[in-house]
Amino acid sequence: MSHKRMSVALSLLVLFSLVLGACAPAAPAAQPSAGATEAAPAEAAAPAAGDVALRWRTRPDNQEEAAVYAKISDELDAKLEGISLSYEPGGSEGASYQDQLKTEIANGTAPDVFWIPGTDVADFAKRGLILNVADLAAATEGFSVDAFYPGPMEFLTYNPESGANDALWGLPRDVSTFVLYLNQDLLAEAGAPDPIALAAEGKWDWDAFVEVAAAVRGLGSDIYGYGANAWWGPYGTWMNAAGGGFFNADRTACNLDSPESLAGLEFEQRLYQDLDVAVPYGEDSEPPFRAGKAGMFQNGRWATPGIRNVTFNWDVVELPKGPAGHAGNWLFWGAYAINANTQHPEEAWKLLQALTEASTQAQISALGTNIPSRVSQEAIDAFLTFTPPANNQAFINGLQDNATAEGPLWVGSWPSYVTVMDANVQALMTGEKTIDDFAATICDEANKAFQE
Amino acid sequence: MTAVAQPMQQPARGAEGWLTVLVVWHVIVVLGAAAGLWLLWMGQAALPEWVRWFSIGALALMAFGSIGAVIFIPRRDHRGRTLSLMVNYIGFLICTVALLQWIGAFTGFDELADRFPRGLPFLGVAFVGYLVYAFADRYETMPRRQRAVQRVGGFIMLAGLLLAVAAIIAWEAVPAFVLERLQPVILASLAGVALFGLMCWAMWRRPAAQAMHVNNARQETIEGYLFLSPNLLGFLLFLAGPLLLSLYTSFTNWDGFGTRDFVGLANYAKLLNLTLAPLADARQPANQVIDMRIYDELWRFSFFGGSYVIGAADKLFWIALRNTFLFGLLVVPLAVLPALGLAAILNSKLPGMKFFRAVYFIPSVAAVVGVALIWQWMYNATVGWINYGILRAVELLNSALGMALVAPQPRWLSSSDTALIAIVVMVAWQVLGFNTILFLAGMQNIPRVLYEAATVDGAGAWRQFVNLTLPLLGPTTVFVLSTTIISAFQIFEPIFIMTNPAGGPNNSTLSAVLYLYQNGFQRFSQGYASAIAWLLFLIIFVVTLVQYRRQGNTSYEL
Repeated sequence: MSHKRMSVALSLLVLFSLVLGACAPAAPAAQPSAGATEAAPAEAAAPAAGDVALRWRTRPDNQEEAAVYAKISDELDAKLEGISLSYEPGGSEGASYQDQLKTEIANGTAPDVFWIPGTDVADFAKRGLILNVADLAAATEGFSVDAFYPGPMEFLTYNPESGANDALWGLPRDVSTFVLYLNQDLLAEAGAPDPIALAAEGKWDWDAFVEVAAAVRGLGSDIYGYGANAWWGPYGTWMNAAGGGFFNADRTACNLDSPESLAGLEFEQRLYQDLDVAVPYGEDSEPPFRAGKAGMFQNGRWATPGIRNVTFNWDVVELPKGPAGHAGNWLFWGAYAINANTQHPEEAWKLLQALTEASTQAQISALGTNIPSRVSQEAIDAFLTFTPPANNQAFINGLQDNATAEGPLWVGSWPSYVTVMDANVQALMTGEKTIDDFAATICDEANKAFQE
Repeated sequence: MTAVAQPMQQPARGAEGWLTVLVVWHVIVVLGAAAGLWLLWMGQAALPEWVRWFSIGALALMAFGSIGAVIFIPRRDHRGRTLSLMVNYIGFLICTVALLQWIGAFTGFDELADRFPRGLPFLGVAFVGYLVYAFADRYETMPRRQRAVQRVGGFIMLAGLLLAVAAIIAWEAVPAFVLERLQPVILASLAGVALFGLMCWAMWRRPAAQAMHVNNARQETIEGYLFLSPNLLGFLLFLAGPLLLSLYTSFTNWDGFGTRDFVGLANYAKLLNLTLAPLADARQPANQVIDMRIYDELWRFSFFGGSYVIGAADKLFWIALRNTFLFGLLVVPLAVLPALGLAAILNSKLPGMKFFRAVYFIPSVAAVVGVALIWQWMYNATVGWINYGILRAVELLNSALGMALVAPQPRWLSSSDTALIAIVVMVAWQVLGFNTILFLAGMQNIPRVLYEAATVDGAGAWRQFVNLTLPLLGPTTVFVLSTTIISAFQIFEPIFIMTNPAGGPNNSTLSAVLYLYQNGFQRFSQGYASAIAWLLFLIIFVVTLVQYRRQGNTSYEL
């Protein structure tokens, strides 16, 4: 055989092996589900013949959480007959989870089931990217949307075509609320009153909060009383607690210039400007808290695994009550939804239910990341055992104290609205704008988002 | 290369039958392409829009090419061979890609990546076989031994590759894979691959070439285009095609998923829509003089005693454009001038220069995301290393000199005053090494004899640098400036990673490409994002053109 022929023959052989190597494992994915045999909990790359292969994805906050989801995937793979699961952790520092997901949907390569933030549900549903599973849910014995917190379900069942709550765009993966993470050593050193005790006595309000923050700030120029990160969640709580909010009642117009919203923002601005008790707005507040340089750090349950590594004594307390008589907390949530282009909607619906079962959610909660999305005393009791923090009840109190469910905009564009809001609030908190300047223009700018 | 325009001398035996077959084949291709065009034009085939337009273009090309082939092949005109080869080559490629797509080869490559390591040891065996095979060349003078060694090498190679294939392929899934792929569309594309390939081979053969009166020059031309074709097709498919698609998209309201509705110049009109209104006094609210349902206040200024406000329909676009220009103005000198100085130092014959060349180049090869995360940590105003360093330095000064200075603690990334500068410093630091290497290469291309002559003429080091090095570095300088400016105008990753929210604080780091990205991928406005991309392209094009025009006035001939 000549060199040339040998080269050609070998090249073709290698090419053939590569193509067949690439194609062969994908074969069972399109197998009909009829006649499915026992599900094999083997590795995801080689599902049992006859199984329906489903890919699912969620955004873990850290490697430990990704490992828990992978373990859950293996367990459900063994449990769900005729379905083989492949879990894909999504999101990284360089590739936004949602942006990558949207690109894959456009390309037709997105997973069958995926998690999306609560604020994105409308954008996905209006464009037909996620499946309305109301019919599948209605045909499922024992399934009830009432098993989940009503706030998220209000948004997840809204049908933009009928204007009624007769759709179902997915099921909430978990919920969370804000608390204040406390550096108890720093608070004790400053001689500040104990926020947990104040909360128990019903005296944990804005004035008490300022007193504690100021006391800690007095410890040194590089010690801060309070810290929060620069996004809509933290500043939204101050507005909510003052009786304001982002939108009008039917979420079709800006409410950022209402007296109540402005009162909340003005109070927060004082923390950064007049009182100077807070980590500078826009700086990541978690590093100084973990370094022992911040007394109170506002964040959700998802921050708990990281905070568990600190070396000082810490605990959590609910947010202080504002003029409206409540803490103005958010009920954060995200939902598992089904890709509208999935070839296996019924199997995907089974997976959706399995992923939101109490036992599955308990595994995630045990890690400390989030709170089960099912309303049940059993789930709450189990959650309270996942310590530290000792005062897990603060999260539950946050849920039960008039928490406002985060939600999508069915009219207008949430990303455009939040872009305008974030920039203007940042200008306010850093002192580049006065509250009067903010009030004069904010809704003129923000209302344009409702025209999109 | 000099082509000799001489007809090939060999007789064209056995070609006539194939040429007749080729004519019939091209008639079939014309009919098939016409039918396909009719279906596509009438919208009968449910295809994505870009696939539809690509198919129309490809089918039209094949139809017209085949008509030409049908006309010229019977006349034995060489143009018939060229057209036939072009049609069959393109048909072969399209059918191959379609076949790979339909059998799932492209989406299966992730799986292949997972399974491929299993075959690596056997591929090592195959490589050993290749070495044995190649070793046989040493026995050119002993043909029997050479063939024997080649056989052994070939056998080892074959065995290694077969074992590698066996290890890589999921054999348990192959039967299902094969059975499932027995679909008409896959079989049709497989037949297409075979037929187009066969016709290519038939026309490529020497007898057919002779019958078509192809001379060496024409043959070399076709071979040249054949070698060029991977790059040319890649350019057309992956650069020119998407560029044209994005141009078309910029005239639509496409959200990335649904249909593209043509909106003409509406996207451009919104981007460029500005209004100017006089103010009664400098503090008068803008909403009293401009229509805030359309415009937002962009900028207010005083001119000859009067105050004015400029409103923009898309304020963020103009802010992004301003930030991008400002970024370019700051980063280009910082990334170019120190690079020139460094290159001059590294070009000297001092000991250790090779080490320092490598050191300065390291940031350029480091991943942007990793570098940005490190700088973000360093810039942290409360626990970052830079502010910590400032604090310690001031404390040292105070204790040493008995002063009571207060250490400044700049909020590098959270203040509108410093955020853009902080990113400029990081980017300049990263680009510096690459520009230094380019200048260094340029300097080392300047003949030493010129410096020796200058030394004889009494020129010192500075005069040599100013009057000799700088002018002769003109082309390098233009290249460095062009690439630095272009990359500055396309700044995205560091801002996306280091600022929170991206483009903050208060939009002070929002760049044009970041704004494009936010519109295209976060706000479902691909049409609008495409319009931003084309406006940015025009700006970069004009700036680069001006630079290259200026190059003509500054370059020197050696």
